[in-house]
Amino acid sequence: MKQLSARKRAWMDDFSGYAFISPWLIGFFAFSIIPILFSLYYSFTKYDILGDPVFNGLENFRTMATDELFWQSLKVTFFYAFVSVPLRLIFAFFVAMLFNRGTRAIRVYQAIYYVPSLVGGSIAVAVMWRRLFMADGALNAALAKIGIVTDVSWIGDPNTAIWTLIILAIWQFGSSMLIFLAGLRQIPKELYEAASIDGAGALRKFSHITVPQITPVIFFNLVMQLINGFTVFTQAFVVSGGSGDPLNSTLVYALYLYQRAFKYYDMGYSSAMAWVLVLIIGLMTGIVFKTSSSWVFYEAKEGK
Amino acid sequence: MKGKHFLILALAFLMLVPGFIFAQPAAEASKASTMRLAWWGNPTRDERTYKAVEMFQAAYPEITIETETTGWGGYWDKMNTQAAAGSLPDLMQHDYAYMLQWVQRNQLADLTPYVQKGIIDLSKINESFLSGGRVDGKLYGISLGTNAVCLTYDPAVLAKAGIAEPDSTTWTWADFERIALEIYRKTGVQTIPFFTTDPKVGFDNMIRQTGKATYGKTGLGFTDPSVLREFYAIQLRLLDAGALIRPEIAFVSVSPEEGAFAKGQSWVEFIWSNQYVSTQAAAKRPLKLALLPNIKGATAKGTFLKPSMFFSIPASAENPEAAAKFLNYFLNDLSVNDFLMGERGVPIPDDVREHMATKVDTINKQIFEYISLASKNAGPIDAPDPAGSGEFLKMVRDVTQEILLKRVSLDEGVSRLMTRGNQILK
Repeated sequence: MKQLSARKRAWMDDFSGYAFISPWLIGFFAFSIIPILFSLYYSFTKYDILGDPVFNGLENFRTMATDELFWQSLKVTFFYAFVSVPLRLIFAFFVAMLFNRGTRAIRVYQAIYYVPSLVGGSIAVAVMWRRLFMADGALNAALAKIGIVTDVSWIGDPNTAIWTLIILAIWQFGSSMLIFLAGLRQIPKELYEAASIDGAGALRKFSHITVPQITPVIFFNLVMQLINGFTVFTQAFVVSGGSGDPLNSTLVYALYLYQRAFKYYDMGYSSAMAWVLVLIIGLMTGIVFKTSSSWVFYEAKEGK
Repeated sequence: MKGKHFLILALAFLMLVPGFIFAQPAAEASKASTMRLAWWGNPTRDERTYKAVEMFQAAYPEITIETETTGWGGYWDKMNTQAAAGSLPDLMQHDYAYMLQWVQRNQLADLTPYVQKGIIDLSKINESFLSGGRVDGKLYGISLGTNAVCLTYDPAVLAKAGIAEPDSTTWTWADFERIALEIYRKTGVQTIPFFTTDPKVGFDNMIRQTGKATYGKTGLGFTDPSVLREFYAIQLRLLDAGALIRPEIAFVSVSPEEGAFAKGQSWVEFIWSNQYVSTQAAAKRPLKLALLPNIKGATAKGTFLKPSMFFSIPASAENPEAAAKFLNYFLNDLSVNDFLMGERGVPIPDDVREHMATKVDTINKQIFEYISLASKNAGPIDAPDPAGSGEFLKMVRDVTQEILLKRVSLDEGVSRLMTRGNQILK
């Protein structure tokens, strides 16, 4: 009798625990797990949203092989991710180094520099970006002031349009910067003091103390930003008006996926595309993790 | 101990209470007296539609209307999702481009029973305005206004160049090209590429003049690419003469105010007649409307009257009768149309149109006159767009840019458009 009540009590404990996190559990199942499973199923079907999904095996994946726009979107996305992520990290790191000096107004600056990360996907920024990079936009006006007269439409030329998105990405360095800053603050002052006594210059301190000490943070930021880079959507969507213009040069993967699903009523194909993207991101992240042991420095591992 | 457990459980359930509260109004909404209305719009349209809803509720106090409105892009995402979930509104704004696909998937209700019951009165409407909403003899949507493709130009630029204004019922593309070149030579004002948002609208008009249609039952509706080729050849000739606005500038998606026409860089813009109000507002100068030019040896009319948008009742509507009542009121009532002011297009009932013609401002009067001119120079409308048209339009826009950016030769571009078109529309 006593045993039973103990078991019952344990059950009650478990149950009340689950009951407490139930709002999150319900949300997780309703808005994450179930849609994910559905999309896995849809990826093997022909599904036009309005009708019922019809199973068609691996047909969607076969179609991708010959879909020019699919390859175009992959090309754009890889280029975007591999160019914008390092640039954004370098820029964020640089700004974090500046802030690490610790002036009193630092918090104000932090807030200001974080603003682009918040507004980056908004329509207002899309309009501003067009005004900046149009043929008669602010950039060309500024260039004319310093004697370079050009009427290149940076945003309308297929060769340059993706760079306007990359610049937008670099501009949104706020969150990486805050994480770098936190990392920099963690580096023990004694290391620098010791190095000074040994006669190390600023450059040597940077390359032999700051960078090795910060590698775990670089690693974290790199993984997070790579994932961000491969799933970029909003910026491309608002700046090109949802089209991937000009000539699909800003047609990033997620934008093409969206067009397939909601413009061409091809939910099956776009679900399949989504899973291919999961595999790509998994692979890229895996590579970063594999190489991390050779360049990421963990204090705890030392001496082992 | 037990009491404590009870307390914990009770608290946990309390956390779920908001869920029940939020679920409550949804259950009540399904009562017969409430209907949901959805449209895509802009601030002007939204304001006028809210007013119409308000007036309707005053006239029919037993019916409550819940409204949903978004812009064009978001609208179809939302409606497709609602269709998949079986939760479409009772009355929704619909478009000619999507109508056939929705009908084929049994998403829309036939409106004929409501006409027969006398809830929807079509007695003052000419059949030619209704045919766009019919599929296989059944009526799936009622046009909220008539629209026609047109060309708007800046008469001041023509006057400055010393060029007489064209008679748009007889002018040809050769005339157009000559005028464009002369304007550029004398004033430096350029010509915008034809229909940059949707180049298909431009060559569709030319193909229709040969008696063919862009879309066939399977694949393209035409086999001779010579008209299509000419559509691009004119633009390339203008481009080589420096008279065409460069595609890098023209194909950037911008608001009307940012466009080359509003800035006075082009003497002409290609639009649908219901875009004239916003085009005019952005351009801030007097404009005129004209029919698109004729091709050499035209055998049919390129222009057609298109329902600008429909109201349709989804098959899954919970309160279709109320929806039909509102539709009828919206369509036929003179006082409500005084507020709508033909914003969705020129109204289709004869009495409403005549009533409106006396009331509208000069800009809208130009549209009314243009529609009347177009109706005298229009051929029958083609069948609604087939499935795959979305992808086709995208491909056309891509190839158009490739041709104008000279990434491909004219012949290569045209043959790509033909082959890819037949593949996509198969």
